[in-house]
Amino acid sequence: MFSDRLDNPAKTWMHYGGLILLAAICLMPIWVMISTSLKNEVLIFDGRPVWFFFFPTMENYEYILTRGRFDRYLTNSVIVATISTFLTLFLGGLCAYALARTEFRGRRLVANATLLVRMVPPAVLAVPAFAMVATFSLDNDLAVLIFFYTALNLPFAIWLLFGFYKQIPVELEEAAIVDGASPLQVFFRVLLPLMKSGYAVAGIFAFRIAWNEFILALLLTGRKTRTLPVGAAGFITDTGVEWGRIMAMGTLIVIPPLLFTFFAARQIIAGMTAGAVKG
Amino acid sequence: MTGVVLREVVKAFGPVIVIPKLDLTIDEGEFVVIVGPSGCGKSTTLRMIAGLEMVSAGSIHIAGREVTHAAPKARDIAMVFQSYALYPHMNVAGNMSFALRLAGTPKAEIEERVRRAADMLELTPYLDRKPKDLSGGQRQRVAMGRSIVRDAYCFLFDEPLSNLDAKLRATMRTELALLHKRLERTMVYVTHDQIEAMTMADRIVIMEGGIIQQVGSPREVYTAPSNLFVAGFIGSPSMNLLAGELTEQNGALRVRGTGFDLPVPERMRSRASAAASRDVVVGLRPEHFAARNGGDGELAPIRLEVDVAEYIGSSQFLAAQVGEQHVTASVDVGPDAAPLTSGEYFFDSDRLYLFDRDSGQAL
Repeated sequence: MFSDRLDNPAKTWMHYGGLILLAAICLMPIWVMISTSLKNEVLIFDGRPVWFFFFPTMENYEYILTRGRFDRYLTNSVIVATISTFLTLFLGGLCAYALARTEFRGRRLVANATLLVRMVPPAVLAVPAFAMVATFSLDNDLAVLIFFYTALNLPFAIWLLFGFYKQIPVELEEAAIVDGASPLQVFFRVLLPLMKSGYAVAGIFAFRIAWNEFILALLLTGRKTRTLPVGAAGFITDTGVEWGRIMAMGTLIVIPPLLFTFFAARQIIAGMTAGAVKG
Repeated sequence: MTGVVLREVVKAFGPVIVIPKLDLTIDEGEFVVIVGPSGCGKSTTLRMIAGLEMVSAGSIHIAGREVTHAAPKARDIAMVFQSYALYPHMNVAGNMSFALRLAGTPKAEIEERVRRAADMLELTPYLDRKPKDLSGGQRQRVAMGRSIVRDAYCFLFDEPLSNLDAKLRATMRTELALLHKRLERTMVYVTHDQIEAMTMADRIVIMEGGIIQQVGSPREVYTAPSNLFVAGFIGSPSMNLLAGELTEQNGALRVRGTGFDLPVPERMRSRASAAASRDVVVGLRPEHFAARNGGDGELAPIRLEVDVAEYIGSSQFLAAQVGEQHVTASVDVGPDAAPLTSGEYFFDSDRLYLFDRDSGQAL
């Protein structure tokens, strides 16, 4: 696509130079996190920052993996993120399908209004959410987080999947019905293969938000239900901030959503419905 | 009772009645084309036969079984959609075998049936391709192949050729007619294109406003249209419809209007004399105009003020006026004739049509 613009070597250099610069800006905080997690406290608080050449130590990792409650936080995070992602995709898919397939006045308004709900920052919801949970004595229950994350993610998922479902011609479903497919077969054998991209994108977003969310998790979890971000914040103590351990935890927190994204992104195939209809 | 039978079928979408009451019997093995302008209820009728729309009242029978409330898959039908509706994630073989795989047909039989259908439609080299890698005509054939492998009792076609270019459409028309001959299945075909209807149908059903206007062979609907709508719809270019008045002159019945005065043929005499009103609409098919009178002078003269003469080879299309009314005429004068001009032309009055002006019914 750029081939005709890149035949000039100077332009090629500028092009890649720009890309490298942007990549550096994006990757620098991550490098700071990883490198800090591998330093001991003396090195971290050294007046002259050491960027690359230092003797790495695993003591931060050793500490959080053996003496913290990393395993418990990880289990909680995995449970909360996967279940709420699944619920978001399942419920969001149902809503999006209904919106895309039934004609009623103001349908587009409803579809877009769901996005409005998304505009509300979670911090605004924190206090009422806390009041609700306290009233019903639901603190210390992972279901609460799952519920809130699903609610938080649903609007975006509905809006996104609505767009994807709209692209699938209804004739495809009718053809499948005439071919003898049951409603479940229509979904799993015709719709789902075509919706893979949509569900993957929605899944990545939902998982990432559920995995990283901090404020609600901080307010709504107890000692046993803490998730990883809340766990990491535990290293901010009244005697000081344990940067090495926080960064080690951060490094480990990044890995699962990264894996999930790589897996989900493989389902994204552009132009999936091409060739379904017309000539 | 075999074939496809619709009995007193009514379809309403909420308060809107799309099809007031429809009776139609399609014989087994027949190729019936339902034709009409868009919004006339023809597609809805087809979708009710398919079971994609449920009837509001009445009953539907296919192959002697009542299927009014049956799901599409219990009706033993196959359907080709206007948009083809190919599964984009499956290759040609996958598309064609989908129904059989759902039905749990043994693998060897699936392969055999797909192979045979692909042979018939010349799709064998493309079996591994995805729909997006096929041309419009090939996609169309895959859509047909998908219904052929089903070996269903009844085939339904919803404007399957309307997305193709004119040349391909003509080819596919021939192929469809051939297919019907070979499969000997009941076929119901919906189109708005009267040429498709005329060329392929055993019988044509002409619909307008959810009501069947006429059912008959292509010859019947062309030579004996039952009302003004059918007269104007069937035939290309379409029939000229002029306001006229019946008069009696020296014992002979004539129909007269501004700019024309034509004798009423003997066969229509009794019914025309008995007509309630003298006000009629005269139907003149463009192809029944002539530039010269026949040997024994049996044609009636009529004056045409020619606006435009279009050369189309062996004949010329005239956009002309009779009195104050526009007419088109297709005059066969051979390929070497000069452009036709205003003057006296002739009309084969044996082939004129008369319609009651109020009811629109043929006399």
